[in-house]
Amino acid sequence: MADPGFEVAQLDDLEQLPVDDEGLVWRPVRRRFGISAFGVNAYTGAGAGDRVIEEHTERTNGHEELYVVLAGRATFTVGGDEVDAPAGTLVHLPDPEVRRGAVAAEAGTTVLALGGKRGEAFTPSAWETVFAAYAYRRLGDVERGWELLREAVEQDPSAWQGQYHLACFAALDGDRGAAFAHLERAVEMDEEAARWAADDEDFATIRDDPRFASAIAGQA
Amino acid sequence: MSERPYQVARIDEIERDPTRSEWIPIRRHFGIAAFGANAWTADTKDERLIPEHEESSIGHEELYVVVSGRATFTIGGEQLDGPAGTIVFVHDPATQRGARAEAEGTTILTVGAKPGAPFRVSPWELNREILPLLDSGEWAEAKARLVRALDENPDSAGLLYNLACAEAQLGEIDAARLHLAEAIELHPDFADAAQSDPDLEVLRG
Repeated sequence: MADPGFEVAQLDDLEQLPVDDEGLVWRPVRRRFGISAFGVNAYTGAGAGDRVIEEHTERTNGHEELYVVLAGRATFTVGGDEVDAPAGTLVHLPDPEVRRGAVAAEAGTTVLALGGKRGEAFTPSAWETVFAAYAYRRLGDVERGWELLREAVEQDPSAWQGQYHLACFAALDGDRGAAFAHLERAVEMDEEAARWAADDEDFATIRDDPRFASAIAGQA
Repeated sequence: MSERPYQVARIDEIERDPTRSEWIPIRRHFGIAAFGANAWTADTKDERLIPEHEESSIGHEELYVVVSGRATFTIGGEQLDGPAGTIVFVHDPATQRGARAEAEGTTILTVGAKPGAPFRVSPWELNREILPLLDSGEWAEAKARLVRALDENPDSAGLLYNLACAEAQLGEIDAARLHLAEAIELHPDFADAAQSDPDLEVLRG
């Protein structure tokens, strides 16, 4: 069949991927359509108090962001300020360093997030694949999670985060040997991995193993 | 007091463009420089929200999100019903697309950029910003801004056409003829427009 040049979807029909324990549900718009010129995702909070935008900065990928509240009402925390944002509100953050996040103030809140880096061609963030990997794991599809994580590492083998998340998955699976091997590799690539690992609950079952302390000390 | 590191606005509070009342220029309002973003809103049912167009000249991927109301899209010759929550992604810049409101107060958000290239403001947006200068007879300022816009968008028929208008009004007849011819070569419909455009009267004498 010839490519018609376009695709259509309903926001409500997009995949629902749980991201954290605070109710944040990711609706992957960019991945769904294969958009390659800008970043775009939707997030929904089913209940009041659910997180709709995780607390984060855009320091890593340098994105300028625009948030659009499509339904319900959200409370944004931006640079330490609280912002009430009913449906139809736009929140623009040109500075990637500014901390931002949002929770649903009403049930059924949806926020669309748009992003790109000024002066540079857009490249999809590797976090999207990693996010998806953890989401599938949460949904019980561990194998799909592994597939996506390997895909993320293939996409950017020089990023320490890939080895780090492989270590997390192996630890969660109870595969200590693989977990330590990946963690050691991640720390070797960047000491930031050791700081992440120190408080990461994914390593709860292997933290008492003497190899854990060696791995994060870079002494393997 | 230091400036806030963010801006907040309601879509319906952003000042609409004086030359096209259905256009809510979101990108321009915030000074967004990484991607294009606009909203289009209909005061009445059956109003055309997105004019029939394609994006070949600037190569943009475009995403349309029906924020409220209901729209009918016509894309690549197909008609699509678009209630609130509909997302339409047009990846092929050569695909014709447009939309009409099916309900009063229908609003569509559009986002666009070119894959593999840093974002640049679309020539049509630059042109719209310059139109008020032409309308108020500020020909020299209009010309200066059109020349700057053409530096980055040398193949924009709309910018060339308006440059011809400004030059004609400034008495720069040879330059006006040259730029009008270039505009018509890129967009032949401008030949008809030029026949009745009062700004170009001096060229028809």
